[in-house]
Amino acid sequence: MHIPDGFLSTPVWACAGAASVPGVAYFARRSRAALEDGQVPLMGVMGAFVFAAQMINFPVGVGTSGHLVGGALLAITLGPAAACVVMTAILTVQALLFQDGGVLALGANVFNMAIAGVVAGYLPYHYWGATRHRGLAVFCAGFLSVFVSACLAMSQLLLSGVPMPPAVAMLSLALFAASAAMEGGITLAVVGALERLNPRWVQGTERNARSGVGVILVTALLLASVGALLASALPDGLERLAENVGIAGQAKALLASPFADYEARFLQVEWLRKAVAGILGLGVVYAACLGFGKIAARRSGAARSV
Amino acid sequence: MHYDVLERWSRGDSYFHRLDARVKILALLLYLVAVATTHPFTWSAFAAFAALAVSGVIAARLPLGGMLARAAVVLPFSATFAAISALTGEMETASSLLAKSYASALGVLLLAASTAMPSLLDAASALGFPRVLVLVLQFLYRYLFVVTDQAQRMRSAALCRGSALRRGPVRERFRAASGALAVLFARSYEKAEGIERAMVARGFDGRIHLLYSPRLAWRDAVFLAVAASAAIGLRFLLTIPA
Repeated sequence: MHIPDGFLSTPVWACAGAASVPGVAYFARRSRAALEDGQVPLMGVMGAFVFAAQMINFPVGVGTSGHLVGGALLAITLGPAAACVVMTAILTVQALLFQDGGVLALGANVFNMAIAGVVAGYLPYHYWGATRHRGLAVFCAGFLSVFVSACLAMSQLLLSGVPMPPAVAMLSLALFAASAAMEGGITLAVVGALERLNPRWVQGTERNARSGVGVILVTALLLASVGALLASALPDGLERLAENVGIAGQAKALLASPFADYEARFLQVEWLRKAVAGILGLGVVYAACLGFGKIAARRSGAARSV
Repeated sequence: MHYDVLERWSRGDSYFHRLDARVKILALLLYLVAVATTHPFTWSAFAAFAALAVSGVIAARLPLGGMLARAAVVLPFSATFAAISALTGEMETASSLLAKSYASALGVLLLAASTAMPSLLDAASALGFPRVLVLVLQFLYRYLFVVTDQAQRMRSAALCRGSALRRGPVRERFRAASGALAVLFARSYEKAEGIERAMVARGFDGRIHLLYSPRLAWRDAVFLAVAASAAIGLRFLLTIPA
């Protein structure tokens, strides 16, 4: 789903842009080795391939057909870093030449499809590609790449104040799941066909990847994207829940944090206030995690030395 | 896909075409930010911004009807969301979504139709796009239509042979389509290897050297000043409550 210009509110497109610029810069750096290996023409031609692949229709029954989106296929064939750069290039060309997605919204589209979508499309393959559930892993790669990016796009639209009744949001969630399943099926079929032609074209997977880490990462991604969608479709759902259960009073007292209601009161502009409060909150959480990690590491170190 | 239309338009010659691509990108960004932050986006605001874009189209001597029609590509997406907004009773949001997305698309189209892709990419590189990304964009644009045409030819050839792409049970057609995609992948891969060898043979070192270095002229500065003051001026004029 390509978001055009004019849909996102200023804080949303600005934040998405601020998130995707370092993201793409990071992946571009990591794929710099491709420059020495002469992989750059390959990356460009693969981008053209994804464009052309949209002309091949896949029947899915009931008279409908779909086509490849490509995030997971690129990640599985080129690796995540190169896939992210190629996806960014595709989105840029689509925005400039085909008016498919906006230019200011490019940051958001890149974040949804080229960063989150590619990472989501690589994780299952990386962690379970070498196990006996390989087919399922490839299917999940295709499914997640589309599902995560569609959910993120939808929640950005909702955050920007595009009106949408909760029923429509739920319906679109079901539609996303259907088209994501289609992408999963297409990715599975194409990866299978590619392996029969030349196994070298498919990225190797780590044989002893820890699948526990994979479960945590995939769950976190799903929670973040679907949770963002639910939170923006049903705002204040948590507070309503708290009131219904009758713990609102205690919870308010417990959560009387320095960023009450997520606002830093010393700033004048409302959205800036919220953004600063959010970033400060993230910092606090990060510091807490860092502290926990240090303590946990020291404990396990102590246990080992005993 | 009417790719050749934009390609032909962008090779035209006018005051607007000769402007430095970097300056045009900056002006476009200012215009888009002005459109995005104008609130509420009334019909008068839409008319003012559209008039700004249309004056650009006329200055670039581009066909107005064709440009207006091409920018309408965004309308199906916007109309879906506008319809949902209208159904929930937010008529203002609905019209604002339609108008904003159309005005923005017209601006982007003006840049794409008045700047040849190579100079656009050089400008992107000068404005700080990562080098790998710019190179990938150059190859992507160069081979976009080569690979697309190949896909088209493969499709016609398969249909001539009476392949299962069109007929038969869904399962068979699905298998045929995935095979076709894999073959397209294989051909693209081989093409890329050939390109890589040819470029190494010609001394490609991961960098495309230009025979000229673009320099900013007075007309670029004048254009940027005019475009920026128009966009910013409209932005602030239009938010004064009547």
